[in-house]
Amino acid sequence: MAEPVTVTINRRAVSAQPGEMLIKTAQDNGVYIPRFCWHPRMNPVGMCRMCLVEIETPRGPLMVTSCTTPVSDGMTVDTTNPTVKKAQEGVLEFLLINHPLDCPVCDRAGECPLQDQTMAYGPGESRFVEEKRHFEKPIPISELVMLDRERCILCARCTRFSEEISGDPLIEFQERGNYTEVNTFPDEPFRSYFSGNTVQICPVGALTATPYRFRARPWDLTFVESTCQHCSSGDRINLQSSQNRLLRILGVDSEPTNQGWLSDKCRFGFEYVASPARLTSPLVRDSEGELREASWGEALDYAARALGEVISSSGGRAVAGLGGARGTNEDAYAFSKFLRAAVGTNSVDCQMDDGLDPRLLSGVVDRARIADLESAGSILVWGPDLKEEHPTLYLRVRRAAQELGAGLVVVHPRATGLDDRASVKVTYRPGQGGQVLSELMDGAGRMAEAREVLSKGPVVALLGRPGYGESPDLAEATAAFVRSLPDARVMPLARRGNVFGALDMGLSPALLPGRAQRGTLAAQMLADRWGELPASSGRDCRGILEGLESGGIEALVLMGADPVRDVPDGELARRALGNAGVVVAIDQFLTDSSRMADVVFPAMGFSEVEGTVTNIEGRVLKVNRLTPGPGQSRPDWAILSDLAGRMGVDLGLVSAQQISGEIEELADIYRGVNWERLDWEDRDGIVVSGDLGYVPVFSHVASVDPRPGEMALHYARTMYDDGVMMRESPSLSPLAPGCAAHLHPSDAARLGVGEGDPVDVKSASGSLRAGVVIDPSVEPGVVYVPFNQPDTPSLGSVLGVVVES
Amino acid sequence: MVEIRSPSVRRGWSESVRARASEIVKQYPDPRSAVMPLLYLAMAEEGYLTDNGMREVAGAVGLTPAQVRAVASFYTMYKRENPGRYLISCCTSISCMLLGSDEVLGAIEDESDVAAGETDPEGLISVEHVECIGACGGAPAVTVNYELIEGMTTEKARELVRWLRAARPEAIVGAECQELFGGRRSFDWGPFDRDSALGPYPAFGPLGTVSGPAGEQDG
Repeated sequence: MAEPVTVTINRRAVSAQPGEMLIKTAQDNGVYIPRFCWHPRMNPVGMCRMCLVEIETPRGPLMVTSCTTPVSDGMTVDTTNPTVKKAQEGVLEFLLINHPLDCPVCDRAGECPLQDQTMAYGPGESRFVEEKRHFEKPIPISELVMLDRERCILCARCTRFSEEISGDPLIEFQERGNYTEVNTFPDEPFRSYFSGNTVQICPVGALTATPYRFRARPWDLTFVESTCQHCSSGDRINLQSSQNRLLRILGVDSEPTNQGWLSDKCRFGFEYVASPARLTSPLVRDSEGELREASWGEALDYAARALGEVISSSGGRAVAGLGGARGTNEDAYAFSKFLRAAVGTNSVDCQMDDGLDPRLLSGVVDRARIADLESAGSILVWGPDLKEEHPTLYLRVRRAAQELGAGLVVVHPRATGLDDRASVKVTYRPGQGGQVLSELMDGAGRMAEAREVLSKGPVVALLGRPGYGESPDLAEATAAFVRSLPDARVMPLARRGNVFGALDMGLSPALLPGRAQRGTLAAQMLADRWGELPASSGRDCRGILEGLESGGIEALVLMGADPVRDVPDGELARRALGNAGVVVAIDQFLTDSSRMADVVFPAMGFSEVEGTVTNIEGRVLKVNRLTPGPGQSRPDWAILSDLAGRMGVDLGLVSAQQISGEIEELADIYRGVNWERLDWEDRDGIVVSGDLGYVPVFSHVASVDPRPGEMALHYARTMYDDGVMMRESPSLSPLAPGCAAHLHPSDAARLGVGEGDPVDVKSASGSLRAGVVIDPSVEPGVVYVPFNQPDTPSLGSVLGVVVES
Repeated sequence: MVEIRSPSVRRGWSESVRARASEIVKQYPDPRSAVMPLLYLAMAEEGYLTDNGMREVAGAVGLTPAQVRAVASFYTMYKRENPGRYLISCCTSISCMLLGSDEVLGAIEDESDVAAGETDPEGLISVEHVECIGACGGAPAVTVNYELIEGMTTEKARELVRWLRAARPEAIVGAECQELFGGRRSFDWGPFDRDSALGPYPAFGPLGTVSGPAGEQDG
């Protein structure tokens, strides 16, 4: 840090970092300078002229825009004198010339910077008697965003956001002078994954979001800060409701995670909470094989008896649990304790056969923090397309590469959202990952440039599974190689909001709460509290499903998991659930999986329960409750506690907060992490460290070629899909791209198909019919199919598929 | 000399146009800097700037179509509507205005029966008023298909419109029009040079947007 300089603002000396903009220095020292275009997370432009202040210069006082004036030593600033006041009044009078006075019907009224600052700094009256400019209002610029050009004051916050931050500048200033307007290209809507941010930062009511328009007045909203659970970045959000209905989510500027931004999935993907399809009562399968409503007592007895029978006949190891990665740590802990202490099984997995080794995920040595991206010399991204699956990380990597000068190497089987900022992009055929890795390690030939970029430390590597045809060992082998790079840190990527928290709570066969491994001292301490721990080694998700299919496992407890939809090999999951003796589901919806259960318990979920989550860097954050759960729904932990009670085991769980205390007590790394701290002084979260120190093992990953006549399948997720939360959110469900088969032009020509023509894609475990998308970004011989789209069967985690026209 | 072709309904540029575009892009360290010359290329290709043309430019320079349209709509000389065969542009900036450009424009509109910003039904004459065209010394000034005529009067303006209607010249040559309809000139504009003052996109002649790839017109 450079030597601070001293600036006098309104006759008070304050110190500031040289180079910092005056408006920021003033704000940090309690002097608010009105502004519209300046945003602390974007580059200044000085467009709105609202932040004019007077500074002393050798040639007398000078009026400058404080958002574009860096502080310098000895600078004297006046933000309130009559000249400044007159300027502010003048600017506001100009801004209001064309701004309609439709505040009574404007969603922004009551929280509108233009309204507020006109009240505080405005002239009170206007001399403008001519006609204001008129536009058709409002026009939809995407499925989610409406634009009212009459209200727009042309501050360029939205256009700068889409160019600087999200990298998809689909809106721009059009025309000139008095005709200037923000708009899209005529037939290219503002279809950005981050469009909702422009609504949040619009200083007037020009941009409004269709899911929220005319739903509430700001002064009627009740709100609470919480954490988003769609992806594992731990984005801080503000939940807002009116009359017990969740209506809006705003991003909170939290330095370590989302820095104010949210993806549209996070911002608008809450409508499912109030879906009429939510379960409101327990369901029990009756003698005719139909699920019917039952009382809690009846359902709990039914489930306890069914599970008890399996345990007494085949032992606890015949029972398995799946899920827990979508809820809170407290619920995950309860699930872990229920399965291990009440049932006696280690067969539990919070990942759906689509992730990485849990030891790598939560315990890798030299694990990276998100903030490491800011100081990274170079970044390697070899995993899922961050824009699709980890939108917050996508923005952070983009910023590192675009604004902070980090080199970026992206390795992926097709185009990704980061390609335009990548120093080197490597495209490869799925199955060839091992080959690509050894080339990268050699650093010769086409990889010389990539190695050159990665020679600049500190290196941050974001590693995960690019698609489901790829072996999970690839990410681990890459992690092992990355350790040889200068100052390297690894961030393993995994899906689902609280997968890292669930792993920390022991929802994995080999792990116990607090990242403890079986057979260690920590496990011993845990046994003192939980009673004897099951001795048998457990099975992971795939093992559980195969066990159910073959009969090695007889009963399954699902907690917020939909394996039929979520496991890459959905057909295996369907067979497994169909073959299971007993399936108990704790869920918010009747999903394709819970529909096959014998008992379904209605669970409370997001915005209905209080607790903690742990994000991708091990940061524990608080989630809060704002709305009541529907009908008779209850929190996961309470359901598990009662179920255990009916099975004759007292889990000793009293409340979520008590569970949090128990976690703090038993999981060494969570010591000191409590709700009081997270609610007040540590709202940005507390990073739990004390990793397993797991050193990734390098193993040679063999390259796999599809069999003759087959194409290599790239099977990967998109942001919007047919998961139950998306399907039940009416604003987002139409945005799923739908089933498609992306082919290289040469393959399309070989098959004699063009854009939109149907093809059949057949794998060993499923087949589907999809429209062709000509996609030059995939390698010849590769077909890319988006995973889990509406009305599409699963292809399984296979490499080779047959594509026929 | 301006060649205005009828708009094509083609979905995209031909390979040769694309090749010319990439030739132009190569002249800049940052591809997006080539957006303006490429917009002229798109205009020359289809007679005016179509959505299709702007999309092609966007693809060639790595911008989004919205960004390209932002540039195209900022500058009035990028035509996003098909102009008539003869485009009469009357300067109404300060020097011309002080010397009677309002009357000149009025006379053109009256004689041609085309309001500023519009084109006659047969697509022969378009009239527009423009900001300063850099001929203040010869105010009031108009251009026809970007060929300059200085020292305009209302009578000469009416004559000009009648002549365009009657003679329907193949090409507009500035020197000839000045001779026929112009008055006092600001200074001697020098000899005929098709790639400088006489093209509709003078500055980009050397880049090949006027008469084929760069270098061809040399000598």
